[in-house]
Amino acid sequence: MSEKPKIAVYTCYCGGNISHTVKCEQVAKLLAEQPDVVVSRTNMSLCSDAGQSQIEEDIRELGVNRVVIGACAPSLHEQTFRKTVIRAGLNPYLYHHIGLREQDSWVHTCDADGATCKAVRLMAAGVAKARLLDPLEPIQLEAEKRALVIGGGVAGLRAALDIADQGLKVVLVEKTPFLGGRMAQLDTVFPTGEEAHILLADLIDKVVNHDKITIFTQTEVTKVSGYVGNYGIQLTQHSRGVSAENAKALQDACQQMVADEFNYGLTERKVIYQPYHGCYPPLPAVDWEHYNGEPININGKSEILKDEIQQFELSAGAVVVATGFDPYVPREGEYGYSELPQVVTLPQLIRHMALNPGAKSLEWQGHKVRDIVLIHCVGSREIEGIDEPQEDGQVNNYCSRVCCTATLHMIEELRENFPKLNIYDLYQDIRTYGRGHEDYYINALDNGTRFVRYHGEEKPKVFAAPKGDTHPVLVHVTDALTYNQELEIPVDLVVLATGMQPRQIDDLVKMLKVSRGNDRFLLEVHPKLRPVETAVNGVILAGTAQGPMNIQESISAASAAAAKVISLLGSGQVELQPFVAAVDPEKCNGTGACVEACEYEDAIALETFVEDGKEVTRAVVTPANCTGCGACVAVCPNRAIDVQGWTLAQYEAMVDAIAMDIVDLVEAG
Amino acid sequence: MNNVKVDALVIGGGIAGMQAALDLGDQGYQVALVEKEPSIGGKMITLSKVFPTLDCCSCITTPKMSAVAHHPNIQMFTYCEVESVDQQENGFDVSVLQKPRYVNADTCTGCRLCEYACPITVPSSFDRGLGSYRTARVPFSTAVPQIAVLDIENCILCGKCEKVCPVGAIDFTQQPETFSIDTTSIVLATGFELTDLDAKNEYGAGELPNVIDPLMMERFLAPTGPYGRVLRPGDGMEPMTIAYVQCAGSRDETLGIEYCSRTCCMYAIKQSMLISGALPLAEVTIYYMDIRTFGKGYEQFYQNAKAMGVEFVRGKVAKITEDENHNPVVRVERTEEGDVVERTFDLVVLSLGMVAGDPLSKFGLTPAEDGYIKIPSVNASPCETRRPGIFVTGTAGGPMDIVDSIVTASAAASAASAYIRSKTQVGIEEREVAHV
Repeated sequence: MSEKPKIAVYTCYCGGNISHTVKCEQVAKLLAEQPDVVVSRTNMSLCSDAGQSQIEEDIRELGVNRVVIGACAPSLHEQTFRKTVIRAGLNPYLYHHIGLREQDSWVHTCDADGATCKAVRLMAAGVAKARLLDPLEPIQLEAEKRALVIGGGVAGLRAALDIADQGLKVVLVEKTPFLGGRMAQLDTVFPTGEEAHILLADLIDKVVNHDKITIFTQTEVTKVSGYVGNYGIQLTQHSRGVSAENAKALQDACQQMVADEFNYGLTERKVIYQPYHGCYPPLPAVDWEHYNGEPININGKSEILKDEIQQFELSAGAVVVATGFDPYVPREGEYGYSELPQVVTLPQLIRHMALNPGAKSLEWQGHKVRDIVLIHCVGSREIEGIDEPQEDGQVNNYCSRVCCTATLHMIEELRENFPKLNIYDLYQDIRTYGRGHEDYYINALDNGTRFVRYHGEEKPKVFAAPKGDTHPVLVHVTDALTYNQELEIPVDLVVLATGMQPRQIDDLVKMLKVSRGNDRFLLEVHPKLRPVETAVNGVILAGTAQGPMNIQESISAASAAAAKVISLLGSGQVELQPFVAAVDPEKCNGTGACVEACEYEDAIALETFVEDGKEVTRAVVTPANCTGCGACVAVCPNRAIDVQGWTLAQYEAMVDAIAMDIVDLVEAG
Repeated sequence: MNNVKVDALVIGGGIAGMQAALDLGDQGYQVALVEKEPSIGGKMITLSKVFPTLDCCSCITTPKMSAVAHHPNIQMFTYCEVESVDQQENGFDVSVLQKPRYVNADTCTGCRLCEYACPITVPSSFDRGLGSYRTARVPFSTAVPQIAVLDIENCILCGKCEKVCPVGAIDFTQQPETFSIDTTSIVLATGFELTDLDAKNEYGAGELPNVIDPLMMERFLAPTGPYGRVLRPGDGMEPMTIAYVQCAGSRDETLGIEYCSRTCCMYAIKQSMLISGALPLAEVTIYYMDIRTFGKGYEQFYQNAKAMGVEFVRGKVAKITEDENHNPVVRVERTEEGDVVERTFDLVVLSLGMVAGDPLSKFGLTPAEDGYIKIPSVNASPCETRRPGIFVTGTAGGPMDIVDSIVTASAAASAASAYIRSKTQVGIEEREVAHV
């Protein structure tokens, strides 16, 4: 390091988040006394334009060549300040960020003095590290201008289309044999009453005919390697099992029936199937999971269908996860589900209505429904300690966002088709928040629907009625709208408004190294700063994989995901952080300990060189594959490896500063 | 003023407009951002902390403001209003009025000497009238751009600002100027307005000094607020009992606003939590019809507030009056207890709703029944308006919170960029390196 360090230190108030606990002025004053510190300032909100301008001015006017900032977590604004430093002409890696908010003020709210001491130590450590910082250059890489979109539902389709419309290539992968996802199972959609399959057909048509989009159905992602800009993807595809020539004959001849999951088990279908008329691709497919392997006879010949699995390798610059949701399936006995035949879920009723268009009366299993009750929040807004946990031990304590409007939309359909039906709606809070959604509630109030408000702690109970009763089922509920009267409602059908559950995509989550939130949906970096991006660079979220959303919201999220992909890959180049392992050739003598310790493919390898006529073996790092985890640093017997920007010497200096007595810190000044 | 030629014009510099501009700029398109106020930042910059993360609002907003100001592909036009939009063959010719700042924007350094010298104090609209500012001023401390503006309506033309300005930037002779922006597409991010505090006679018609709107409470709670703490405006007393009246400007036939404003439940809960931090002994009661905490992490936020001791009472408040000490008295039927009660509070916050902001006629658009821009196909193209090439984002397209506004902003950017590409074939091939 040639020039003498001139360090600027900034202690941010974070709009009170830090200054309410930490005495920022004291911290700044103490830090000003530290060697090499030329200026130490506080700021109400350093990330504001005025705050950033102050940093720029100090670099320009005072010749500052190292910047230390104590503010929020680096995940929020480290990038913001790197750009500030660049604008002032300083190398962006001559700046060090300390998370005073998350690591100090937010966790020690009751101990202002302790928090202030801790802030001084953390900041002093930052200064100690800053003295040893070297300028670094980001790693520039060619990016593959192709995105992989996982999931062929409405979000995946929309994301694929929007990305492709900007000229990037897209590979769209769908696990099932048909595109359309959960939206295909809906009948009409709120708030417009349009038919879901028409909206979907229009979108699928655009995707299918787009020359930049390649579609793989019956395909799953089975391997992921690489990094942003250059993900290596392995796809595994099942075969369709039939061809255009033999599809009809095979389907006609096929005798094996299974429950049709498209209709949530209300009907059966053959194992060679199309879920619905007009689906894409139109060619039927074999349901390999259920096919019993028995021969099918056509034209006197018997044929055993074989699944030929194919694998494909491709590279993609970014991955959009649009894997969607699963509807909550009530436990056996939850509100009588799967014990009483008169208890169904809302998705099942939607399918039932779609399968019986124009019916004069609502019938369930041959019986006319006179009285129907719909129960909200089934599998949502569960309360720990009151509701039975799910299989993984957690309760679904979130709101599923769509069920209220979906239920009231259903009530409107029921009322229009079957005016004489008695409808009871059992709810906690009606959450018709969206534009045009409240109208469904107002209409239901006007059209004679009886609303009953229950408390989450005291859920309604569903029983079989005694033999000879007028109705098969009794619902008991305490009604908060009539001062907690106990009601007994005799009904013919109970409809459970089931919520959304995260998909079982553990393998994919592991392969992509993305995180889940407390609700087990996939987690974004920050709901406002980076709402559709994950903590893994180049892995973007679209739709209900991230949390409950309706169709409109899924489409918006998918388009937002597309915008991020285009910003990332549009130029064909990406930059990676330079925090990767670097080998000191003077010290390395090729023990290979680092290569053994490394968990990443092709990140570090031994290579043999000829130097002065002698063969020498040394470790060589491939920066693009290195994650900077430091495993190699720990095992090198010669201390020949360091992670750039986080060297052992820097760590030692930081530890020394943290461990110093505060009195010494003051005196050191 | 020279004419400007861009790929996209974003109208409105609030959070949605800024995000849309940033996303379009990041994709390599040339963007103009027009804001009617002297600084970008919109309503969000006036807030305290934001749900559900309780980040300080500045920490989210100000870096985005700064990013807009420094973005190589974004030109920012503040204190400007769109006058007319003419359809051209391949886009729009937009006439924009630059309102006079009476300060030379090119030379002003934002040093604020004019502000310190100005003798005239007027109520601050930034602080919703709770605090005051000078007639010559930088709009607020984190304003972007940091350029002074002179409020000529209240100016006495004493010339003190002119005398102290070190760069001679004060110019009393400035006139409104019109310039045109030639653009391929338009993104409307014109935002919302609160329903009026005085709209409902039953709630005191704006006459009760200690019945306030939620944005006033935001200013009380904000670290940059006028008093640095929560004081009731009537007499400066620290309130110990505070009531929130939900659906005070929404879901109310008598106001002609039958829709849900979508944000009020969450902001009331958030403010209650912040109040328990600012005034640990204060009691907060929220009167509601339905609690609509539907977003990601919102239900848990609600449950946390309950656990913190915020009282939730179900019932639509019928009437608010006041006693002889100007303490508001809330009359409500408590539907769970089955009684009608009157309770006196120190302070009442009306959870007012959102109504559409700017009129739409100059964009050649007509509003839907709810007053917001009509979106013909919400389940296929949620950002497209009736006019091809004009897109909508954020609360201009209906009530929504910040999280949803930001996502729709990126979505609108995506829709606009597809449109621009289809019209001009501007290639992403010529773009700069992406930073990750």
